[in-house]
Amino acid sequence: MELTEDKDIKVVKELLQKLIKAKKTLRMYPQGNPIYVKTLEDLYTRFKSFFDYQDELTLKIGQNTIVYDSEQIYYNPEKEDNMALFLFKDGIKEITFKKELLQEELEEFLKVIVVDFDREKDKMSEDDMVTLLWEKDFQNIQYVVDETFLMDEIDEDYERKAVTSVKGRGTDVESLQRAYADGLEGMVKDEKKVSIMPPAFEEIQMLGSEMEKDSSDKMEKLITILFEVFSHAEGKDDLEDSIMFLKDIIRFSLTHGDIHTVINALGKVKSILDDSFTTDEAKKYMKMLFVYIGTEEIINLLGALLDSSSGVDEDILKRFTDFLDKDAIAPLVKILGDLKTIRARKSIIETLITIGGKDMQKLAAQLNDSRWYVVRNIVFILRRIGDKRAVDYLLKTMSHRDIRVRKEVIRTLGEMNGQGALQSLSECLDDSNVEIRIASARAIGNIGTDAAKKILIEKVSQKQFKDRDFNEKKEVYEILSRWKDADVLDYLAGILKKKSFFGMGRNYEDMACAAFCLGLVGNKEVLPLLYKFSDVNNKLLREVSQIAIKRLELGR
Amino acid sequence: MAVKEDRELISSAKDIINQLSIILRTANIHSPSNIAVTTAIEKYIALLNPLIKSEQSILLELIGEFFYINSMRIRYSLDYLINFNFLVREFKKREIGSVIFKDFMNPRDLQTFLKAFIESGFSDTPYDTMSEGIDALSSIKIDRLKKIKEGEDVDTNTRKIIKKTYFTAVAYIEGLFSKIEAGERVNIKKSKRIVEAMVDRLLDEEQLLIGMTAIKDYDEYTYYHMVNVSILSIALGQRLGLNKKLLAVLGITAIFHDIGKIGTPYEILNKPSSLTDDEWKIMKRHPIGGVRAILKLRGFDSTAIRSAIVSFEHHIHNDFSGYPSVSNYMDLDLYSKIVCIADQYDAMTSSRVYSRIPIPPDKAISIMMERSGTQLDPVLLKFFINMIGVFPIGTLVMLDTKELGLVFESNEVMGDRPKVVIVIDSNGNRLKGPVVSLAQKDETGRYLRTIVKTLDPNKYNINLAEYLL
Ligand SMILES: [Fe+2]
Ligand SMILES: [Fe+2]
Repeated sequence: MELTEDKDIKVVKELLQKLIKAKKTLRMYPQGNPIYVKTLEDLYTRFKSFFDYQDELTLKIGQNTIVYDSEQIYYNPEKEDNMALFLFKDGIKEITFKKELLQEELEEFLKVIVVDFDREKDKMSEDDMVTLLWEKDFQNIQYVVDETFLMDEIDEDYERKAVTSVKGRGTDVESLQRAYADGLEGMVKDEKKVSIMPPAFEEIQMLGSEMEKDSSDKMEKLITILFEVFSHAEGKDDLEDSIMFLKDIIRFSLTHGDIHTVINALGKVKSILDDSFTTDEAKKYMKMLFVYIGTEEIINLLGALLDSSSGVDEDILKRFTDFLDKDAIAPLVKILGDLKTIRARKSIIETLITIGGKDMQKLAAQLNDSRWYVVRNIVFILRRIGDKRAVDYLLKTMSHRDIRVRKEVIRTLGEMNGQGALQSLSECLDDSNVEIRIASARAIGNIGTDAAKKILIEKVSQKQFKDRDFNEKKEVYEILSRWKDADVLDYLAGILKKKSFFGMGRNYEDMACAAFCLGLVGNKEVLPLLYKFSDVNNKLLREVSQIAIKRLELGR
Repeated sequence: MAVKEDRELISSAKDIINQLSIILRTANIHSPSNIAVTTAIEKYIALLNPLIKSEQSILLELIGEFFYINSMRIRYSLDYLINFNFLVREFKKREIGSVIFKDFMNPRDLQTFLKAFIESGFSDTPYDTMSEGIDALSSIKIDRLKKIKEGEDVDTNTRKIIKKTYFTAVAYIEGLFSKIEAGERVNIKKSKRIVEAMVDRLLDEEQLLIGMTAIKDYDEYTYYHMVNVSILSIALGQRLGLNKKLLAVLGITAIFHDIGKIGTPYEILNKPSSLTDDEWKIMKRHPIGGVRAILKLRGFDSTAIRSAIVSFEHHIHNDFSGYPSVSNYMDLDLYSKIVCIADQYDAMTSSRVYSRIPIPPDKAISIMMERSGTQLDPVLLKFFINMIGVFPIGTLVMLDTKELGLVFESNEVMGDRPKVVIVIDSNGNRLKGPVVSLAQKDETGRYLRTIVKTLDPNKYNINLAEYLL
């Protein structure tokens, strides 16, 4: 089909517009996404139909223009979103697509031009667009690059000067004749019959496996080298440099999600420190690395990694955190409050349980954190560490403004006991908040000593306790029943036997609690007493008594 | 779908070359009627015929060091390297430039082709023998290897381009290193583009660019050394089948291999006499200095890491006999081994790097051969010598015709028969050319010229640039 010139131009114009649109679209959608695929296929179809009647498509690139067949088909004076300028900047002067263009090639081409080279992240890249295109090694996309961009840096006349100068030293005829004379002397054919042996098959195979090995990550090798460089250090500057590079690598690797490299490097540091041949001076520098990994900078990176979708395997994390020392405590606590995933928070809590023990004071100091949930986590961590020295700090946190923290502290004190805990807990039994009262009763029950028992019995006996809500009372009685001794038995039985001077309603509640708990204590001696209540009018007392009787009779 | 077919063609194209090589190697060992050969032939036909059907004909061409199938250059990986190399040599030996397969192949035609191919290997006029042997076939035709006419220079335009690439690289590197020395920040992107241009030239005109490295008399040789080591390394990498991208990385690492010499006093770098112990100590710091310089300059992108590794390792040697000494160390990096070979060769043959007296190129090769398996990786060295020739470009040679010449281009098939530029004729007259191939024979099949001995061009102050540039 013969097309008129004008139609041809129109087709290319549209094709270029499609190409520019595809550049934008492909940036937004991941590869394989239906829109991505469709955009690509549409564009490819355009190319193909153009190639139905043309063998190639050559676009000439100007700073603001794109020209096809001496016709300007694109003009844009702006700096932003300027396709011409985009190509022109890197020195591309002409692009040719050939008839045989494959869809894969078109896709690869688009992948290069969607890179936003102006964006900060991509600016850091070591490749410009021409390099990326060059690496693709297209069969059917050719481009002409103007290398004059180099000319502002080099002397244009360099070649001429160099050649003139090197040729200027010309060979003098005499020397040449001398060479000739020496050459003629003893013109016996040299024994040097050299044959070049091509490498054998096995040798190439060996080389092949080496090349395969060679494609692996080189960071580890670099680390090995840096340790060698360290061992060759000849002064303070050398040592400092090596440490700086190793720090950079740790930071770089973590930024790129590579914690393995960091662990390997730290492993090496450790073995150097353990080596008796290492000088004190060298050790001093090596230790800086362990300090470094505990800084906020690194711990923040660790946090980001933990929060990322890939996360960090528990064992791997442990191997890393084993290298941390107490200085990491504060940064760890800091990120604990910032982490987004539960998984990540759990990991940091576990880490703090391990490291926190190394310096209780440092960890406890974090109880002043302004974030209540962080404080609660620290209380939990202290409990898991279980070191009684923490009690003092916990007691100070007793009065935290957030009830959730206080509950956690109370529970912790109950589990840890320790000097002053009981006293403080007993005060909480009178707290205005029911949750606090119950929590401290539980905590006291947990302590389980005679003194604890005494406190609870005392509390239950008080007049104001009678006025508490039934559920609260029941809870405290139940706690009391954990002591299955004579004291408790007598006390509970005493309640049932006692004539009340108070309002009967409240009294029944107390009696019911006592009856129920007698069942829990599990001493059959109280059965006769309970039988007395198994047919009383008060429904609550009656039913509870029956349950207790059953429990005792069945011996459960 | 067109896309799919093209892709199939690409993958079959590799096999067309690979399988042909296999058949020829098999036929070299067994008789043509042997089952191993006939099976291979059948396999080959099964491969060819569908392609002939869709493409009408299959044109297999050898251009430079590469095979093209229907005008498409066929890239190979290491798996194919040995077979590709074998076929390149066998084609060159017979001066075959192309083979065209058309119509449907049958085993008989291919048998005839094989027979002619093998017989021509023993002939003094291999191309003619081959051509006669397949004359009766209509389905397979061959054509002679296109080459530059004897005695004539290569296309001057090509030479111009090669020279431009070379000197642009040197000029750029000189500028780059002056900047680095002055503590300025440099843009690595541009050095990548420089190296890419060198890679492109090496893919097209390997010997010409290698030839550029033979001239060592420049002022400021340090910069030429960097470019030369880069060229020789890329060329060797290319022989190993590294892809373009890897070649560019290799080229970059090679350019920066001696960056650690920045800061080394000029008097030590360019000292005309031997170095004292203390000066050597300073000199030996450059691999470590290089690691520091590269990391400071470029951080940890993958090319920077590889550059740092090469800088550190390029003097360690394969047997760890070099410097710096290392304690807990694994194997040397492939790139380091390559750069080490290229570096040794360029350093030995020039007067200003390490050895104060330049060694003639052929002597340098002999010395390096002695280091095979100790300092140098034996397999890589084999590839290197195959590439550079036993009489490398720039070797001063006395011919049995009483002509004195300089090796101008190496011959891969016959290492002792390179191209030579005549500088003194048999009557003792000074000349500048012609360039002759020592592979040329007279009507009786005798070689026209043969090297009888080599001489040291430095001993006679022969300025290679005069003849090679
Ligand atoms: Fe060096
Ligand atoms: Fe060097």
